[in-house]
Amino acid sequence: MKKRSPWKTLVLFAILGIISLFFLIPLIWVIASALRPASPLYEYANPLTWRTFVPTNPTLENFVHIFVNLNFGRALMNSLLVSVSTILLTILVASMAGFALAKFEFRGKAVLFTIVLITFMVPFESIVIPLYILIKQLRIDNTYWALILPGVANGLAIFLFRQFFSEVPSEIMEAARIDGASWFRIYWKIAIPLSVPAIVTVIVMVFMFQWNSLFWPLVATHSSRFEVVQVAIAAHRSTENTSWANLFSSAIAGSLPPVILFLFLQKYFVRGISGTGLKG
Amino acid sequence: MFRNNKVAWLFVLPALAFLVVFKIWPIGVSVIESLTTTSFTGVKSFVGFENYEYLFKYDPVFWKSFSVTLIYSIVVNPLIVLTSLLMALLLNSSHFFTKFFRTVFFLPAAISFAVVSVIWMVMLDPYNGLANSFLTMFGFKPQPFFASPNQALWGLVLLNVWRSSGYWMMYFLAGLQNIPETLYEAADIDGASTFRKTFRITLPLLTRTISFVLVANTAFNFLSFAPVYIITKGGPMGSTNLLMYESYKSAFVNLDMGRASAITTILLGIILLFSFLELRFTRARFEY
Repeated sequence: MKKRSPWKTLVLFAILGIISLFFLIPLIWVIASALRPASPLYEYANPLTWRTFVPTNPTLENFVHIFVNLNFGRALMNSLLVSVSTILLTILVASMAGFALAKFEFRGKAVLFTIVLITFMVPFESIVIPLYILIKQLRIDNTYWALILPGVANGLAIFLFRQFFSEVPSEIMEAARIDGASWFRIYWKIAIPLSVPAIVTVIVMVFMFQWNSLFWPLVATHSSRFEVVQVAIAAHRSTENTSWANLFSSAIAGSLPPVILFLFLQKYFVRGISGTGLKG
Repeated sequence: MFRNNKVAWLFVLPALAFLVVFKIWPIGVSVIESLTTTSFTGVKSFVGFENYEYLFKYDPVFWKSFSVTLIYSIVVNPLIVLTSLLMALLLNSSHFFTKFFRTVFFLPAAISFAVVSVIWMVMLDPYNGLANSFLTMFGFKPQPFFASPNQALWGLVLLNVWRSSGYWMMYFLAGLQNIPETLYEAADIDGASTFRKTFRITLPLLTRTISFVLVANTAFNFLSFAPVYIITKGGPMGSTNLLMYESYKSAFVNLDMGRASAITTILLGIILLFSFLELRFTRARFEY
């Protein structure tokens, strides 16, 4: 280890501290404001004092209000249902394909792999309008299926599983094959249990995508029955007079699940990133 | 590698079905739909390239939206590359506080664009926003931000820098870890300064990561929707009317699927172009 000068460290710390203020101030302010009684929400915004960032009489009444009177809980449950269903289906479908792509030589493989690569280059948002036309033709618009199924077509997840399975030695599988195990059994009993890190990466990736999506749910559903978190948050804004208390508290409540997931599974977020081709 | 066509195809079939139905087919729908028009009676007819011709020749709203999207991209993408690269360089050493700051910088990426939009809508609110409180505290005049056609787009840029810098920073940190430590040790022996090491070793060896982030980020930002939908609705005076929002309005407000699909197809073309660039820049990385 080389020796560092303490001054350099201090300067670095100061610079990083200033940058982090840029990221933290908006968050702290919004959280503090949501914890104030609904009427004087903005009271301390200007001029700036310590009260701007610390609620003097903290209350949860804004949160109670959105859950009790505005049914925000239903939006949370809808998002949870959609996210979990998409995750389960994606893991099953993508791991099977990844397994075959990693362990088999078969006719049409090159074409298939190209399709996978192309599809993960086509971002979901870019095909929202044709997808809407499609689900109308399939008569699944305004259903949970409309929210779940398009999310399962995930080239990146297939690619991640394929990368992961490539590193699992084939010998175990050959041995199992000689013992008379079926291919599905080998996939289910050998490949899947070994792929937990890939599974967690896909869970994080799909969850963030589904939980945070606004555009597609907005287009694909219109009944309040199917309203997901982001649509519910945005709805507080599109009404004529925006209720800041509702907007802030729903934004915070709706962000808690992904933020908690992020804080606990940070390394899998990064793994999802490096899986996109820039392996660290 | 095993050889068994039937088994392999059974394993890939579900995935292939999903990809074809929900990715490949919509791309086709987008192209076909863009070549049709629907009359008031609901009858669809084939019109060839008429939708495109109209967009490029007689549609000032499209042109305005197109140029706004282009300006937005030209500003926001290099800016995010710059901020995220800078943050990565600052965090590329191990101190006791490095991990903490990395978490803080990356945190906004865990929050949805809808919520980030809500946060910045109120931060930049002309009357109650904190941005103006800071400006007046330092003796500047309060600004209208999203209420002004000259400033609204910059508000979106700021929002995006806040949300995305930490995310792309992680790519740069991954890239920085690939640079062999021995190069820096050799430079240290030669007595090179930190500045010189950054410009002579780090940046040249990071070129590929920089191009990847630039290209991927550009493709991503062409599709910005949530901030426009939540904060500005394209206004004031079309100054934030990005193409994605314009195609949404065309499809679901004006019910003109032909025009909406033509815009979507143009966007798709741009995205695919960028994706191929991306593949070129990162080709070597796909070999394992």
